[in-house]
Amino acid sequence: MSFLQPLMLAALPLISLPIIIHLINQRRFQTMQWAAMMFLLAANRMSRGYAKLRQWLILLFRALVIAGLVFAISRPLASGWLGITAGGRADTTIILLDRSPSMQQQGAGGVVSKLATGREQLVRALNTLGSSRWVLIESTTNSPNELESPDALLRLPSAELTSAAADLPAMLQSAREYIEANQTGRTEIWICSDLRENDWNAASGRWKSLRDEFVQFTQGVRFHLLAYSQTAPDNLAIRVTDVKRQTTGEGAELLVSLVMTRQTDTDDIVSVPIAFEIEGARSVLNVEMVGPTYELKDHQIGLEQGHEIGWGRVSVPADANSADNDFYFAFSKPTARRTIIVADEPTVVRPLQLAAGISPDPTFEHGAEVLTSEQLATVEWEKIALVLWHDSLPEGPAADLVRAFIDRGGQIVYFPPRDPDRSEFADMSWNGWAETTAELAVETWRGDQDLLANTLSGASLPVGQLKIRRHCELTGEATVLASLSGGDPLLVRVSTDRGGIYLCTTTPAASDSSLARDGVVLYVAVQRALAAGVETLGDTQQLVAGDSQQQTDPWQRLAGAEAALSTDYPYHSGVYSSDNRLLAVNRPAAEDLAKPLEDAQLAELFQGLDMVRVDDRAGSIDALIQEIWRLFLATMMVAMVVEAALCLPKLRRAEGAAA
Amino acid sequence: MIPDRRRRSFLDPLALSRLSGLPLFARRPMLGSVSGRHASPHRGASVEFAEYRKYVPGDDLRRLDWRAYGRSDRFYVKEFEADTNLRCCIVLDTSGSMNFGTTGTTKIEYARQIAGALSYLAVQQGDAVGLSCVAKGVVTSIPPRRNPGHLLHVLDAIEHAQPRGETQLVPVLHELAETIRQRALIVIISDFFVEPEELRGCFEHLRFRKHDVTAFHLLDPLEVGFNFLRPMRFLDMEGGAAVFAEPNEIADRYHKALQGYLEDLRQVVLRTAIDYHRISIDEDYEKVLMQFLVGRSRGKGVR
Repeated sequence: MSFLQPLMLAALPLISLPIIIHLINQRRFQTMQWAAMMFLLAANRMSRGYAKLRQWLILLFRALVIAGLVFAISRPLASGWLGITAGGRADTTIILLDRSPSMQQQGAGGVVSKLATGREQLVRALNTLGSSRWVLIESTTNSPNELESPDALLRLPSAELTSAAADLPAMLQSAREYIEANQTGRTEIWICSDLRENDWNAASGRWKSLRDEFVQFTQGVRFHLLAYSQTAPDNLAIRVTDVKRQTTGEGAELLVSLVMTRQTDTDDIVSVPIAFEIEGARSVLNVEMVGPTYELKDHQIGLEQGHEIGWGRVSVPADANSADNDFYFAFSKPTARRTIIVADEPTVVRPLQLAAGISPDPTFEHGAEVLTSEQLATVEWEKIALVLWHDSLPEGPAADLVRAFIDRGGQIVYFPPRDPDRSEFADMSWNGWAETTAELAVETWRGDQDLLANTLSGASLPVGQLKIRRHCELTGEATVLASLSGGDPLLVRVSTDRGGIYLCTTTPAASDSSLARDGVVLYVAVQRALAAGVETLGDTQQLVAGDSQQQTDPWQRLAGAEAALSTDYPYHSGVYSSDNRLLAVNRPAAEDLAKPLEDAQLAELFQGLDMVRVDDRAGSIDALIQEIWRLFLATMMVAMVVEAALCLPKLRRAEGAAA
Repeated sequence: MIPDRRRRSFLDPLALSRLSGLPLFARRPMLGSVSGRHASPHRGASVEFAEYRKYVPGDDLRRLDWRAYGRSDRFYVKEFEADTNLRCCIVLDTSGSMNFGTTGTTKIEYARQIAGALSYLAVQQGDAVGLSCVAKGVVTSIPPRRNPGHLLHVLDAIEHAQPRGETQLVPVLHELAETIRQRALIVIISDFFVEPEELRGCFEHLRFRKHDVTAFHLLDPLEVGFNFLRPMRFLDMEGGAAVFAEPNEIADRYHKALQGYLEDLRQVVLRTAIDYHRISIDEDYEKVLMQFLVGRSRGKGVR
């Protein structure tokens, strides 16, 4: 039970007033000479069960009257859950709003999404509770914005749905920083989310540090989780996995590969009309879907010969979540995949040249150019996708060129030189070759992402078969993608805003490793790095909503959410043009199949913190909290009536006869 | 009628004069010593014909009905009813509980008024009046006599009767049933705070002795209503243990006990054919006595 005027509860001891009055009354007895003692004695001998009970009931109802009055003036709040606030008005209320696409899911039979329902509920609840300061932290920017009142949640564009995933740990981190920076008083943190695993990232190590930091706040921080964890098993999500434009004898065609997913495990056959829209030209393909996924490979859509660049959209009919019914893509002629290899040692150059120069697809134009570090100034960097560097780490003008290349989105893989020096790049440096007597095997590697990730079919790369004869030691902090037995890294990635910097601690030379002989790993890794580098070069680019760090000034919307602000384009799915390039922005893949967190997982995340959870449903119209002083007033009146009824003397029929 | 002119608080001359218009009748034949206005179980010399009886040697020849002899050639003696006076024994309860009263008068004062008036009415019509004041035992006992001087004695005893001590009404009534000669009018004035079952024995005993028993049951309105608002400590007027009671809590059971007692008493008086009058002491005693006398005159003449 919570109260808006909890101080009034100090009057609760008044409940004992009837009992005290009763006891005082007992002491104020009168003494009287009495003749008819035989009836009094007989009455005393009789069972006094009901009479005694009646007295207790009268006292109880009198106490209830006072309790009802005290509770009524304390302005109690009702909710589906008790203990919504610790009492009183909060100094600061921070609202963490999950704007991820899964929050667009609608309730059964309703047209109101989880996000809209959550906002409505928050506005009603927070207006009732009151606070001195309101702060909104929404899931795209994760930055705190002060609000005038909770009503602003219904008007602000920054409280609308986006296509970007949420990062709850980052939002909580932002809330923590805000509390620390502003030295807030008693703080309430309201989290409105649908508890998707990908948004909450429960496995992240940040949760532990967050818990420790929140526990240390002395002013009292209380969490309220407004959870919309219902799933929609029949909801269909569509995603384009690949788009290729290729020239045919009659002109050109587009090969679209897509995958549809749903969360149900049943084998029902569902007929789904998939609509393809290429710049306004619409076609429909009816497919029958069985099971949780459906995959369509290289669906052909004819194009005019001169149609070299464009965009399109695939969509499925409206269902429970409209945010995952569309997927945008952009297409253009394949971009040439150019690699430069900075090396002068033939035993290293040759395998790298082969790995970078052989195309996995005949339609792709590949090229690998070998040059020395002195020739870097002559390179057309704007056409380069990947740099393979087997030399001392770049310094001076060369380093500036490489940094600009990486900032543009390029990829670079460093291999250790024969004679490592102390030169540094991105705080990394070669430390010298480690002398090992025996060949080392790769002990662990990241199969879930990045260059050594498993193949699409799920099979892992044969990284374990590599034999490393020599490797160079590294200095600096980086994410290890593969490590050797003994703990030294084989492949690391330096974190960057864009682009990719990888360092491989051995070379493909036969004296150093079997990378060249067992070339699959080298080839796949190089091709993946190349593909990532090409992404930023082509006339089109597929972007994941929220991941783009580009300036949005030149962005023009071609398709997508019309209500989105231009500054928020990177967070809304759609197709945008920017400097003659087409950018297709879509929701993250994890949003399609995200499962809600288990209760136990959630409890673990907030272990040690003061957290209250309430489960709501999309489209719910029941207010989370409301004032219920009327109920207590009614209780008081009922108690008064009952007390009066109990106090009424019995109708004595025999009285007339006795008289 | 009353030689001394001293005013007695329990006697109202005006009320007595109004009541004296109504005779006090016995409901059963009485055995008096002189002629009076009450039926006697024996034949006598009144003007009221009773029966013919065959002449037996020894009968007074003056009572032979010669006309009957002329008609039937047989000797018959003509008999007439006898009228006699009665002995009225008033039993006045003077136990401590009779000192209770909340209406400006006490039960003992009310009882004095009834006893005094009845004594006066009885002596006025030539009947004998006796008085027994009873508490733990017979406190005062005045045998029935019918001369006016005796009335003064009785009135003095009534006046000086003081309510004190506990009630031993049951053994006293048994004792009186034996000691009072047969066929008397016994008027019991009491609050009868005795178990009805024990009273039944007394009443049956008195009836067995062919007494005409009348009971005036005096109750205070507060005893019936039990209308208290505050907790009370009740002190027994007859010396028993005090009782502390919360009236709200105990009232129901008190009334239940009272109703049970009154119902039992009603059954007792019905079975024993007692002339029973339940009186609330806030009633006018003159009215009560008027009803009593009128009721008596209706039941007169049973032999």
